[in-house]
Amino acid sequence: MTRRDMAHRAIRLLAGRLAVTGGLLLLLSVVVFAGTDLLPGDPATARLGGLGPAEVAEARARLGLDRPLAERYGEWVTGLLRGDLGTSAEGRPVGELLSERLGNSLLLAGLTLAVLVPGSLLLGVAAGLRQGRAVDRAVTTGMLLLAAVPEFVVAGGLVLLFAVTLGWLPAVSLVPAGASPLSVPEVLVLPVLSLLLLGLAYATRLIRAATAAAARAPHVEFMRINGLPPRTVLREGVLPAVLPVALQVWLTTGAGLIGGAVLVERVFGYPGIGDVLIRAVQSGDLPVVQALAMLLGGVMLLALFAADLSTRALTPVLRTAGR
Amino acid sequence: MTDRTGTGTGRPAITATSAAVLLLLLAMALLGPLLAPHSPTSPVGVPYEAPGGTAPLGTDHLGRDVLSRVLSGGLPMLATSLAAAVLGSLIGVTAGLWAALAGARRAWAEGVVLRPLDAVAALPPLFVLLLALTALPGRAGVIAAVAVAGAPLSARVVRAAAAQAVSRGHVEAAVARGESTAWLLGRELLPLVAGPAAADLGLRFVGAIYLVTAAGFLGLGVGQTDWGLLIAEALPGAALQPTALAVPVLLVAALGVCVNLLADDVLRRWRTVAA
Repeated sequence: MTRRDMAHRAIRLLAGRLAVTGGLLLLLSVVVFAGTDLLPGDPATARLGGLGPAEVAEARARLGLDRPLAERYGEWVTGLLRGDLGTSAEGRPVGELLSERLGNSLLLAGLTLAVLVPGSLLLGVAAGLRQGRAVDRAVTTGMLLLAAVPEFVVAGGLVLLFAVTLGWLPAVSLVPAGASPLSVPEVLVLPVLSLLLLGLAYATRLIRAATAAAARAPHVEFMRINGLPPRTVLREGVLPAVLPVALQVWLTTGAGLIGGAVLVERVFGYPGIGDVLIRAVQSGDLPVVQALAMLLGGVMLLALFAADLSTRALTPVLRTAGR
Repeated sequence: MTDRTGTGTGRPAITATSAAVLLLLLAMALLGPLLAPHSPTSPVGVPYEAPGGTAPLGTDHLGRDVLSRVLSGGLPMLATSLAAAVLGSLIGVTAGLWAALAGARRAWAEGVVLRPLDAVAALPPLFVLLLALTALPGRAGVIAAVAVAGAPLSARVVRAAAAQAVSRGHVEAAVARGESTAWLLGRELLPLVAGPAAADLGLRFVGAIYLVTAAGFLGLGVGQTDWGLLIAEALPGAALQPTALAVPVLLVAALGVCVNLLADDVLRRWRTVAA
């Protein structure tokens, strides 16, 4: 195959995947917008109990709910494409509501990912190479238990241990208004630890499984029988097979962390998007929730797209394969 | 998920223990409302009273008995989780079987069913829950969210299991006889995928418990005494009354771990039978 052919294939592949991702994004927008609209009741009637029909009609008109669904959907999607996230039920632009908090949430996710990447690789590879032995049992069992417990329960346990019993760290993330959480770094420790445990439970198990499979592969056994030192076998034989999987896991975990942070932020009263989101849910502020769901679903789809591409780029067989 | 190696010794003991703990939790949830010494919603003492005296586990921020609240909170939570898991599984199994059956003849038909489900699956389950609760607060919203969040995964599992079954002789014979779609799905295909569908129902129940307790934690749950709500209420006063936080935290953790281990076991068993 010539270089030119390969370039063509790569472009065709990229375009194909991009089209699929775009299509899924469009479907997601329909599900997020129309799906919530199809549910019985709407934000106006659900929260305005005790009002007369005239007031409800007035509220519906003010929120634009009296217009046909297709018209509202079209307006919403074209707004999204222009970067306009819509207006909250209280009349503030959603983008403005989120922009002041998004940074804090991204900080939490970024810090978590920075520890998660080396941590899950180390634990997963260590366990996978010692399959069935004590280290592997301990890691596998620990991660299984951790994955079974909701993250806000894990966070509650951490509060009991580190804030109440030991008194080492604050139970509440008190950040002065307008300041960055980085100015009070101690408030970041428990939220990051909670998110880290959430991500580790998922990432370590998958990396361990990939390592265990790679360690049993014929080429690795061949290297081992030929007396290559374990370090070389790990570097040349095992890791190249594990890294594409790991990268995929990290990308999806990272995207998932932004959503998973909502409950953890709530536990610590951390000033991130979780707080905005939950208040919107409680007051029935549909535009805010829809915009955030769309944003995070979009981030997840893009992460899957990036994961797919990077897996192909890192795997020689797939790199030259037709599809 | 594809790794079948972790099966060491001690599996049956772990399964038996988690089954026993789960039974204990179920008994507590069922009998709890009858055993509760006080009303779960009215104060029996001063706020944040330490355990002992009238309130064995102390009181919460409004002076209500923590033990009575814990005892009466289990049943609505478990019932909602089960109803939601069954509903999600039903939708998923129907969609999965239909996709396998229709997809065998017309490839595009499978896409019509599965692509929208893929789009839903891109949304973290928690966001499905938040969206549903914004538009439809209360128990109905929670059940709808759990069902919608779980159905795509069920559909994938069932479709994969049914893909080979659709080309079996008795299915093709039934198609040739002109049987209705409902007959084909329920009588010809469903029995062949009952194993994976049951294992999948276990996983849906795990997810349902997570979402139901999360809804409770956000104060949007199904009752006044949800275990998730108890955690949220106990957090601000954790330094004064740690028991009120520790008890629901331990209960939800134990419930999650047991259900997970059992679902894992069912899945493993079915795989061993299939292999």
